Amino acid sequence: MQQELLLEFFSEEIPARFQKKAVSDAKFVFEKILNDYGAEFSALESYISPRRITIRVLHLHPSTKDLCTKKRGPKISSSEDAINGFIKSNGKRKEDLFEENGYYYINTEVMGADIKEIMSDMIEDFIVNMPWPKSMRWYLEDQKTLSAFWVRPMRSILCVYNGRVIETHIKSLGITTCDYTFGHRFLSSGKIEISNFDDYHNKLEKSYVMLDFFKKREYIDQEITQKAASMGLCLTIDEDLLNEVAGLVEYPFIHIGTIDEKFMSLPSIVLSTSMKVHQKYFTLTYPNSVIAPFFGTVTNVPGTEIMHIGLDRVLRARLADAMFFYKEDTNVTLEAFAQRLSNVVFHEKLGLMSHKIDRMMSIAKTKEERRAVALCKADLLTQMVGEFPELQGIMGEIYAKGQDEELDVCMAIREHYKPLGAGGTLPGSKIGARVAFFDKLDTLVGFLGIGIYPTGSKDPFALRRAALCIIRLFCDFDEDILENEKLSWYIETLITSYSDQGIALEHDTLVEVETFITDRFKVYISGKLEVDHEIIKSVVSSFKSLDFDYKAAVLKAKRLLELTKLDEFQVVKEAYKRAAGVLGDLEFSTGSVRDLTFKDESMIALKDSVSDLEGNIFNFDLFTKAARSLLSACDNVLINTNDAEEKSKNLRLFGKFIGLIEKNIGIL
Amino acid sequence: MNVHKFKIFIPKTLLFLYHTRHATVFAAIHMPKVRSFQDIIFDLQKYWASQGCVIMQPYDTEVGAGTSHHATTLKALGDGYWDVAFVQPCRRPKDGRYAENPNRTQYYYQYQVILKPSPKNPQDLYLGSLEAIGFDLSIHDIRFVEDDWENPSLGASGLGWEVWCDGMEITQYTYFQQIGGISCSVTPVEITYGLERIATFIQNVENHFEINWNGREDEKKLTYGDVLQRFEREFSCYNFDVASVDILLNHFSDYEKECQKLLAHNLVMPAYEQCVKANHCFNLLDARGVVSVTERAGYIVRIRTLAKNCCQSWLESVKNKD
Repeated sequence: MQQELLLEFFSEEIPARFQKKAVSDAKFVFEKILNDYGAEFSALESYISPRRITIRVLHLHPSTKDLCTKKRGPKISSSEDAINGFIKSNGKRKEDLFEENGYYYINTEVMGADIKEIMSDMIEDFIVNMPWPKSMRWYLEDQKTLSAFWVRPMRSILCVYNGRVIETHIKSLGITTCDYTFGHRFLSSGKIEISNFDDYHNKLEKSYVMLDFFKKREYIDQEITQKAASMGLCLTIDEDLLNEVAGLVEYPFIHIGTIDEKFMSLPSIVLSTSMKVHQKYFTLTYPNSVIAPFFGTVTNVPGTEIMHIGLDRVLRARLADAMFFYKEDTNVTLEAFAQRLSNVVFHEKLGLMSHKIDRMMSIAKTKEERRAVALCKADLLTQMVGEFPELQGIMGEIYAKGQDEELDVCMAIREHYKPLGAGGTLPGSKIGARVAFFDKLDTLVGFLGIGIYPTGSKDPFALRRAALCIIRLFCDFDEDILENEKLSWYIETLITSYSDQGIALEHDTLVEVETFITDRFKVYISGKLEVDHEIIKSVVSSFKSLDFDYKAAVLKAKRLLELTKLDEFQVVKEAYKRAAGVLGDLEFSTGSVRDLTFKDESMIALKDSVSDLEGNIFNFDLFTKAARSLLSACDNVLINTNDAEEKSKNLRLFGKFIGLIEKNIGIL
Repeated sequence: MNVHKFKIFIPKTLLFLYHTRHATVFAAIHMPKVRSFQDIIFDLQKYWASQGCVIMQPYDTEVGAGTSHHATTLKALGDGYWDVAFVQPCRRPKDGRYAENPNRTQYYYQYQVILKPSPKNPQDLYLGSLEAIGFDLSIHDIRFVEDDWENPSLGASGLGWEVWCDGMEITQYTYFQQIGGISCSVTPVEITYGLERIATFIQNVENHFEINWNGREDEKKLTYGDVLQRFEREFSCYNFDVASVDILLNHFSDYEKECQKLLAHNLVMPAYEQCVKANHCFNLLDARGVVSVTERAGYIVRIRTLAKNCCQSWLESVKNKD
């Protein structure tokens, strides 16, 4: 291809977990650099493999455009010195100045340059701006200095433009660019000369480097699936593992290995976690989802007998360890582990984990709930969870079943960590949901109560997530997890528990916690329903602050979202505003208006239509009808009449109308 | 030597002709079928010596890793050149399994290499060393898998990999970036081999305890288990079940006090040794299960303070010398 630039940064092994993101980062960063330099090109591609990150620029013009940028100088009112300084530093004359919005400006022109001449600057910029999550410096022997930061030591840079090498020295890395690269670490040897991208791609493929990360990932997925299928097995898809494994090989070779039968008695989650975390092996199952004594794995070189023996052997050693943990753990009861929670700090100002359990106990109601609370954190002290923190809750459930706890209790131990964020699944059982709620609420009350709030992007104790979980439990869980108590009762009870433990919380903790959750609710609902700020405001403000019903609020927000699309909504809104204007700040009785009697026909019509709204399930047509009646009553009747008794009846009716709107729709 | 006996030996051995300046002698060399555990060590020593490393001996006190040898922790600080290699026995009391786990022990051997500054081709040098000890790189799957290293108690961190051979970690490979909370002015590379694991590959055995230590195949063959199994079992009992907690607690605070006193006398290396000993005491208490999670953090802070003070004193003294 003509006018093609090919750059390859060849380094020691790039961590697998960085690779997927680095592909798009490299593209973004280099595109920006090209634009900043005024380079003209048609497209840019980026690739990654464990030892290289590659950039291909298509139709790159051999010279860059002249760039003219408007540069802002000092204010017009600035001193002579400042203005002269600005002129001088830009190599301009006084005549070049022009004014805009109270500032002096100057046009600076950068003349177009030969791509070859700015190549080293662009590469240096790329090194600085490529955002690796973690990077390092190494020693440059020739220059006796440390290098610039890069993910791992860089060893060579390929730079070919239009079929010819651009040779330039990259000072920050002590490397002079060249026209060769290297193939697979073990399956290829020596330098490979490159003239363009197609040549590069083909030669690398022959030298066992699969350049396209995403193709490699797909290949691995397909090959393991196929090999497993030929043995009557299924691959358990795991995207994270697939990404990681793809980032660990320059060229994938697939192997199905064997799990020693003696370990098949371990819980399958322990087997698959140990295989994934330690060995990056894929779990294989029988078609009935039962774990099979085989695993899928990927090697960087073709398999050999001795390698396959090694892959099985290393897993045996890992599983022997897991077996050791499992046996040690099951020698101890969960109660005994739970007792050791008094050795674990929850937070230095909020006491120990055992204190947290005691507080959660104070809001638990049934025997089963109390049992689940007592055991829910016990597994944190087991060896298995010590080794695999991701198994928290899961091991608790397994061990609880093993000691014949009630099934609901066992399940709750696992489920009380749910939901994990906005998309996570909810607990399946009410006990699980309730214990999850106790846990999160205790955390919120404690941290907010000692004045620890999330700030900006920092939320080290995951308080926002805790609030989000509570909201999801309120809104999305089928049953009422509050058990007919108000949220405020739970918060107050927890505050009392804290104070009984000698932990004093701020006096306004109750309001702070309610407000925090409501604020998170606004964020949650705007994201979930895509409703605008106005709707959220009218819904949220229609509840008294300590009497918030989250499930009702979601319903209202959904309803309001639909209603605002209707023409009649404007009628209702106008009636609401008129009624609110008449009432002003007056408090109104919420009692039924059925028994009120009116003389005026339009008031009678209004009374009838408002009465229809009472006790009926929501029907917007009835609201429209009532609204029309109200508007016509306003036009025909003097509401604030001198007759005190009449006036009071009129206002009660208006008040009722407003109350029903707020209850069913929101504050308009 | 009894000539008659010697002759009987011949069929099992090869006769080598040794030419020396003074004489030609026959020597009977026992030809090992397998590369022994000790051969692997000899070959590593020779390989790294040929790369210009100082070959040191183990630190003669209990350490958790070769990194704790003063030849690493202290000598990696400062600007000077420092290429060194040595075997270091390591103690990790909590890892004991009463000699019942094939691959996990509370006492094992590391081979430690420090190249300061890191040369241009450290990965190649490392792979060369694997070949030097008998690895056929064409039949194994060797991989560099991200594993950054951090030792908060030394204020030390680095980036690198664990090297996998057929899925088993056999080496830790790290470019130091910081030691004693101070950025390295010259970045050393640290290569730490797990000798037992490497031996299981080379000898193709399942179990650490089956490793052929002396390379003999006759009745005088001695395995790793022959040499260390009892040691492993008894120390597991000591670490987990029997060690006297009150004595260890006293030791810990004694070492701590002594370290502080020695630092006051500007005796950095002896002070550092006390710090290492305190660390081992803590590890024993931890294995004994008497350190609550609450206390744990406290102990770690105490050790970290000692270690940091040692590193800082060392750096100051090195700078003063310049």
